[in-house]
Amino acid sequence: MKQILANFNKAFESRVRLGIMSVLAVNPAMDFTGLRDTLAVTDGNLASHLRALEEAGYIRMEKNFINRKPNTSYSITEAGLESFSSHLKALEELINRK
Amino acid sequence: MMNQSDQPLEDIRVIRKLMEESSRFLSLSGLSGILAGIAGLAGAYAAHLVIKGNTPYTDWYLRPLGGGEAAAGTVLELFAAMAVVLVVAFMGAVILSSRKAKKSGLHAWTPVTKRMLVSLLIPLAAGGLFILFTVKTVPASVTAASSLIFYGVAMMNAGKFTFGEIHWLGVLEVVTGLACLLLPQYTIIIWAIGFGVIHIFYGLFMHLRYRG
Repeated sequence: MKQILANFNKAFESRVRLGIMSVLAVNPAMDFTGLRDTLAVTDGNLASHLRALEEAGYIRMEKNFINRKPNTSYSITEAGLESFSSHLKALEELINRK
Repeated sequence: MMNQSDQPLEDIRVIRKLMEESSRFLSLSGLSGILAGIAGLAGAYAAHLVIKGNTPYTDWYLRPLGGGEAAAGTVLELFAAMAVVLVVAFMGAVILSSRKAKKSGLHAWTPVTKRMLVSLLIPLAAGGLFILFTVKTVPASVTAASSLIFYGVAMMNAGKFTFGEIHWLGVLEVVTGLACLLLPQYTIIIWAIGFGVIHIFYGLFMHLRYRG
């Protein structure tokens, strides 16, 4: 049990963070509005979770200009993909225990 | 309040749903496949009438559509008919798919929709130009075959971003196009099968399988 909980990542406890990681794990990149619409969350809520994941080094942010409008896009880092997949494994093991 | 012990299961369910929804365009309507098929059949019939009306040759399929006398008119009429088919099929797909998205509470216009359209339009545009540049020099059967083959490749390409069945629809269209090269005397029938019959069966299958 201890081993499982060790892989059970605190950073992904929130549904929103789990959602962000899920989306970025299967997409090369996604911009802020795309994430917001997919996850159906408010701007402020999404921004704070994105910041937390970025500070943890799990995602990276890239600011660009598209038609002179600022566009912020996010993608998963190698560290992020690694800890997300071990978190998934931990989830699966928790389920299989029952 | 969620039962604590159900949390991992619910987490996995949410993860799976988000991965699927964000990487695939799931609102593609099966009904629009049926509509495209009907438009395709009508287009094939229109092509049959145009060709019968304009060419005295029984082996017209071995001659370039854009060659010989009165050919400019034939090509123009055929292109006009195909443009109508394309617009009807495309508009039908847009309207029926946004309706399906609304019904299932999904956004129709997402980053993955954009990616699917780009991956669809690049082979399609290449095919359109290929046909435009070769219509005067290659046999009519080759022109028809290339429309099927390029369309099939476009579907295979777009299939990465929507239902996996679209990939197999593309494979089928490519095979139909190759058959058209081998059996040029049946060009119109094969074209009608490729753009008409296959779409109708595919649309029915998708409609029954995914409801909508």
